[in-house]
This record gives sequence, structure tokens and C-alpha cells, in this order.
Amino acid sequence: MTDGVSPGADTLGVKDVARGSADNGREIVLEANGLRREYGPVVAVDGVDLTMVEGEFLTVFGPNGAGKSSLLGMLGGGMRPTAGTVRVRGQALSFSEHDWQHRIGMLSHRGFLYGRLTVEENLRFYGTLFGLQDLEERLPARLARVGLAERARFEVRQLSHGMRQRLSLARALLHDPDVVLLDEPYTGLDPSAAGVLRSVLGELRDGRRTVVMVTHNLREGLAMATRLAVQVSGRFAWEGPNDGLGREDFERHYHDVVEGRV
Amino acid sequence: MNTYLRQVWVIVWKDLVLEMRSRERIASMGAFAVLAGVLFNFSIDTTSTRPQDVAAGLIWMTLIFGGLLGVGRTFHLEAQDGALQGVLMSPTPKDALFLAKTAANFVLLYVVSLLVLGVFGLFFGLDLGPNLGWVVLVLGVGALGFVALVTLFAAVSTGTNMGETLLPVLVFPLLVPMVIYGVGTTTRLINGRPFDEVEGNVRMLGAFALAAVAAGAVLFRYVVED
Repeated sequence: MTDGVSPGADTLGVKDVARGSADNGREIVLEANGLRREYGPVVAVDGVDLTMVEGEFLTVFGPNGAGKSSLLGMLGGGMRPTAGTVRVRGQALSFSEHDWQHRIGMLSHRGFLYGRLTVEENLRFYGTLFGLQDLEERLPARLARVGLAERARFEVRQLSHGMRQRLSLARALLHDPDVVLLDEPYTGLDPSAAGVLRSVLGELRDGRRTVVMVTHNLREGLAMATRLAVQVSGRFAWEGPNDGLGREDFERHYHDVVEGRV
Repeated sequence: MNTYLRQVWVIVWKDLVLEMRSRERIASMGAFAVLAGVLFNFSIDTTSTRPQDVAAGLIWMTLIFGGLLGVGRTFHLEAQDGALQGVLMSPTPKDALFLAKTAANFVLLYVVSLLVLGVFGLFFGLDLGPNLGWVVLVLGVGALGFVALVTLFAAVSTGTNMGETLLPVLVFPLLVPMVIYGVGTTTRLINGRPFDEVEGNVRMLGAFALAAVAAGAVLFRYVVED
């Protein structure tokens, strides 16, 4: 396999549809090799390798400016790596092809929503872009799941931040993606909205989805994850399973990693 | 309808619905057109200049400057909540996105160009007679080429610090063929010349519009890819 890709090349990574090997019978869903992203002289992501199988939930912690959002951007196909490859179920992400996007859903701190469209119209818009045939059946159930059925005809700009975040979650999951990428999903949410989000994210741990969440929220991040990573200066400075480490213990460990004591 | 056409259609629908609800761009373009018509009306000395000799140039300049105000902001619709990234992360081909944005912008600008024609017709006392339909056609063909170019370069300039200054600098040099053929054709039609006389010019204007749309559809993906 070749990892390098020249800037300006058509693909996000080198096209290679070789299937990944299975891990304990579970299929490899998401692979990143040597991911690197530069902004001029600044290296935001510096050679990250990542392999995730079905059902895994990885939480990535890290200080501001560690390159976490850039990493998610490249994993989601919205950002071209300076070098390295991303594959979803063995298929390299390519800017010139339009089928891998069905496999990825992204919830960012920005909602990707249109303020002057209604809740329902936003979902219908994205559902049509994704070519969903059963939109009319799907929409009411998805809105009900995030507690927005009563607000279906409200314009998004009339919603609170928490409601918008729940709608963004419904948008990100509307097409039933295999890989879900979450960028600081709990930012600015009140306890009630956070509870709904926690409940829906809990359902993503169904053994089929693969989730990568970037967050500063240690409590929520630890509660959901099967794997943990700490990203510092663009690299995974530490990575390991979530084997029940308490929040305070992990927080100490996190600071040790960030400050280079581990 | 196949998936590609549905994707194009839903983006056109979204842009037009957003515009109908906010009226931000159509209002700014329409107000500019009316005010420009009023000012130009007072700026021409009709005792020494025949209005029908200068009206076409003023109409096209009003369309270009007014169009930049509205069409140039086409990606601001997407920028507010990162929605462009959401669209780019969908399976929508980039050329479908470009064609849809161009089509929606064309509808807006064409409405404005009819308003401009009405305003200048009123203030300059233009009598287009049987050529009215041809003038409307020529404005439409020119508007198509214009929105294709501006949509492409608006994607370049949006998000840059100097976006609104940068856009005219990028676009104006490329509009020269449109201005030459558009103004020349419209002037003759306003002066009552037969369409046969300007048919070649209209074809050139059409070729310019098609080339702009085709080039935009091909190049757009390189503009929006991060």
C-alpha cells in the first residue's frame, strides 16, 4: 500500500480498494494511514494511523490546537490530507466519486443547517441530497427520536442551541452511516439537551456503527468510549482501551500525557 | 427524475426558498437597479445625447454591478452554519452543486434584469416595439454567462478576508466579451434594427454563456475542495 499523495491529486488518499482484515471477526470499517495536514508552515495533524472495527467508539481528547478537528475533517472526507490515506470499508475517499459519503455522518459544532428552512425542510433537503427513497417514512421517526416532532414546521433560527444540535444529530444520522464523526457535540448544551444527545449516541453503540468523537468533555467522552486517545501537537500521544478508568484518574493521566510526563 | 436531477433541483429549491423568505439579495439588487436608473436618468443630457444610444450600456452596467451585489453573496447562504460543508459531505457531485447554484442565481438575476429593463424603459422613454422579446432574450443569455462566472468566483472569494473586493477584480476582466456583444446587440435592438442584423452577436453571447457554464461545472470542484 502506498500512503503518500501529492497535494492536488484527485483522491483524498491513494485509491486502493483492498479489503481490510478482520479483527476478532469484526470488519475493519475505518482506516487512516499516515494522515498529515499542513496549513502553511503549521502541521495540524502529523502522521496519524488509525484502524477501527465495527462497533468501536473512539473518543479523542486533546488541548486546543492539537489538530483534532482537522483529523475529523480528513476522516470525514471534507478536508484533503497533505499526505496519507483514509479508507472506509476498504474504499479510499475520493473527491471525484460520490458513493462513500453514504457511509459517513458528521456532527460538528457547526450544524450544517439553514436557519430559514424549517426543521423538516432541512432534513428533507439533506435526505434528497443523499438520495434517500423512504424520506417520508423516515422523517417523522427521526424527528421524534430527537424530540423535535412538535417543532417540525419551525424555522431553525427559532430553535434553541440545544434543539439545533439535536436536529444536527438527526441530520448526521439520517442516511444511517456506518461511520459517525462527532466534533465537540456537547458544547453549549443544557443538561436536558445533553441527555437526549447522550441517549441517541448510546444507541450508536449497537455493534454496527463506528464512532469517533472529539471532545474536551471528559465525563461524556469516557462514558461512551470503547477506546481513548489523547492527541497532542497533531499526533496521538497516547492511545488505549477504555478499561473503566475513573474520570479523576484519567484526568491526571491526560495532564501527564499533554505535559509530556508520560 | 434521476438522483442527479433531484440533487440539482433540491439545491435550486433551497436557494429560492431561502431568498423568498429573507429577500436579502433580491431587495438589494432591485433597489440598486431602481436607484441606478434614477441617477442615470439625471446624468444624461438628453439635448445632446439620444437616450437610446446610451441606454444599453447603462442597462448592462447596472446589471453587472447590481448582480455582483446579489449573486456575489450566493455562498453566504451556506456559510452561516457551515452548511456548505454539509452539502460537500453529501454524495452530490460538485458540478451538480455548481449548476444548481447557477440556475438559482439565474432566476434571481433574470427577474432583476427585467426590472432594470422596465426602469430604464420608463426613465429613458425607450420604445422597444417588436424588439422587446429579443432584448429580453439577449438579457437572459447574458445573465446566464454572468451568473456562471460570478458563481464560480464567488466560491473563490467567499471566506477570504478581501472577498467582496476580490470578486470584481477576478470577474470584470472575464466579462469583457459579454459586455461587447451584449451592449452592441442591445443598442441595435433598442434602435429598432432587425434581429437578423444582431443574430451573430447573440450566438457569440450564447457561446460565451455556454462556455462559462461548462468551465464553471468543470472547475468548481477545484475551488470548493479544501
